[in-house]
Amino acid sequence: MAKIEDLKDEARKLLREGKVKYIIGYGAGSNGWPAAPLFIKKPEDVDKLVWDPTCVHNLVRFLVDEKRRKARQRQPDKRPVGIMVKGCDSRAVVVLLQEKFIDRNDVYILGVSCEKTGVVDDTKLAKKLPGKKAKKIEVDAQNRFVVTTEEGKTEVAAAEILAERCLECKANFPVIYDLLSGEKTKRSLDEPFGSLQKIESLSAADRWSFWKEQLDRCIRCYACRSACPMCYCDECVVDSINLAVTAETTADEKAQRIRWIQRSAESSENLVYHLVRAIHLAGRCIDCGECERACPLDIPLRFLNKKLEKEAKELFGYEVGFDAALPALVSCFRDEDPQDFIR
Amino acid sequence: MEKTLAKKSFSQWVKKLSSWSVYIPRKDEEGRWNYAEADSGGVSLDVLQTTLPPKKILFPQREVFLEFAKTLAGNRETLEIKEVLPEVKPTVIIGARPCEARAAWMLDEVFGGEFKDAYYWRRRDQTALVGFACTIPPSENCFCTSVEGSPHSEEGLDILLTDLGDRYYVQSMTAKGEKLISAAKELFEEPKPEARKQVKAAHAESEKKIRRQLKDARPIAEKLKGMFDSPLWDEESMSCLRCGICTYLCPSCHCFDISDEVDNPSPLRGQRVRTWDTCQFPDFTMHSSGHNPRPDKASRLRQRLLHKFQYFIQVYDKFMCVGCGRCITLCPVGIDIIKVLDKVRDHGA
Repeated sequence: MAKIEDLKDEARKLLREGKVKYIIGYGAGSNGWPAAPLFIKKPEDVDKLVWDPTCVHNLVRFLVDEKRRKARQRQPDKRPVGIMVKGCDSRAVVVLLQEKFIDRNDVYILGVSCEKTGVVDDTKLAKKLPGKKAKKIEVDAQNRFVVTTEEGKTEVAAAEILAERCLECKANFPVIYDLLSGEKTKRSLDEPFGSLQKIESLSAADRWSFWKEQLDRCIRCYACRSACPMCYCDECVVDSINLAVTAETTADEKAQRIRWIQRSAESSENLVYHLVRAIHLAGRCIDCGECERACPLDIPLRFLNKKLEKEAKELFGYEVGFDAALPALVSCFRDEDPQDFIR
Repeated sequence: MEKTLAKKSFSQWVKKLSSWSVYIPRKDEEGRWNYAEADSGGVSLDVLQTTLPPKKILFPQREVFLEFAKTLAGNRETLEIKEVLPEVKPTVIIGARPCEARAAWMLDEVFGGEFKDAYYWRRRDQTALVGFACTIPPSENCFCTSVEGSPHSEEGLDILLTDLGDRYYVQSMTAKGEKLISAAKELFEEPKPEARKQVKAAHAESEKKIRRQLKDARPIAEKLKGMFDSPLWDEESMSCLRCGICTYLCPSCHCFDISDEVDNPSPLRGQRVRTWDTCQFPDFTMHSSGHNPRPDKASRLRQRLLHKFQYFIQVYDKFMCVGCGRCITLCPVGIDIIKVLDKVRDHGA
């Protein structure tokens, strides 16, 4: 993993010179997981920045908040926001640019390279070291993880506790950045869609019962939607009321809003919610895995998005999050696109 | 009433409670713990924290209030409305953490008082809580001792079990508790004097093992009264995702929504249901005019803390937080209620 001293120097400079409003980065967490999102406004706080394999969060989600905040302000501060991004996260920035949700001038991208490893999966770590809590995780010269717990240090092979998405990583260093910390090294990949093999091998009936069991656990806390940088709609089908209502919305418009989904966390409603979300992310999801990580009930949501990512690749040769100038998958048509569904 | 129960007799006791619905923390194939009905196989207790607290048994995420249906007889349309009250079998939750029972004791206040919530009490009256003292803290973020609780608190419990190695020390505080013991009297023994000593020592020891602490919770509650417009809320809520984890998984949060769910539009048939709701969702306070009095994450985080540490105390003289630490452990971005309240305490100091 990269050392980020160069990035800290730049961050300090940016804040001192007032070139960015604030910086979204990683700092120390206090809840038992070493890293947590950190928002830095003062140059002297830059020392609090950390970069280690527990920086799992995709901070691009906070650019959505920033846009909402600006929309509410009468005279918004138009300076860019500094943001730390890993390779995968940078692809989310590309999608937001591609969809014109943000402008390139809205962000100053502080890229960090994962180099030969990636980030740690908390569930895998808990299984590997049962009953112990990591205080710190570092990467040694052999690209092994060194986990510090209260009982001392334990070395773990990276592949054992790496997040699933890192095992299928498509960008271990940022694809877009203003400053890059670390090397653009190549790393060996596992099967690109390896995690799907098991579920794809099941029969339709078995897949159905698998998903029923998984989605029945859903309590509709919407952490998956909330953690997702692509779920930025002002109006979402699952909300009980329309958040896009304004003082100008007429009573008729309000009354005629279709309720697509009931509030009850029941099988049919949960299924509709998760399928709608998955379909809306087709050709947009960059596999940061935040939905699955945020889920308190461990629903394997990545499978849904990964499957659609695979379909986009196989059917349309489309890989999202590398080129902001490319038209979005669902908004373009090319002659070579398969048309066998038109009968 | 105080007894002891040999650990090897525990399963037998659970079996003897066959006329009750017995809930106990159970592990699924993936290693996830959840309160589920005990089956005929072996059951055991372990010091752990389930993701979902047993709140869901007393206050289910979905409760049907009434059923409605329109019928057409000749030219006359009639609307039939039928109240649906839950039919609940006597239920016992075994292995509840003492903090979770304290939370039930808080729900009793909210759903009791002048206007009793019939739906809640139908379940509550039928439910007994058998707690299991936390001789080891079940979470690294436990802080019950800071909010007037303890790892061996009896509040809200009918029975408290304490692990004494080969046996459980059984303290029954209520008539419901005694009923549970008398269902299998022969399994329980009179405690020996040294067992009484052991249990006292285990309880005293358990308090020392709690790792996290919120200092001066009562003075913080007092200070919060002047913090409504503080910029602190903006800063602390920056990383909030506006999801419902901290509240849905909180054993004491109890906000709900009521809506009509239509099964069939014509002829009209459906149900009026109560479902969990949370102050952390933007639509929670959204008015039909489009005005939202809590328009941002800052005001919603503030609401969660003020409800727990100011308003509830004003009304019931209790914190609406039992210190289980779930909101801290499960927050995807590490928002830590202890840290936020620490900042409140030190604010302006």
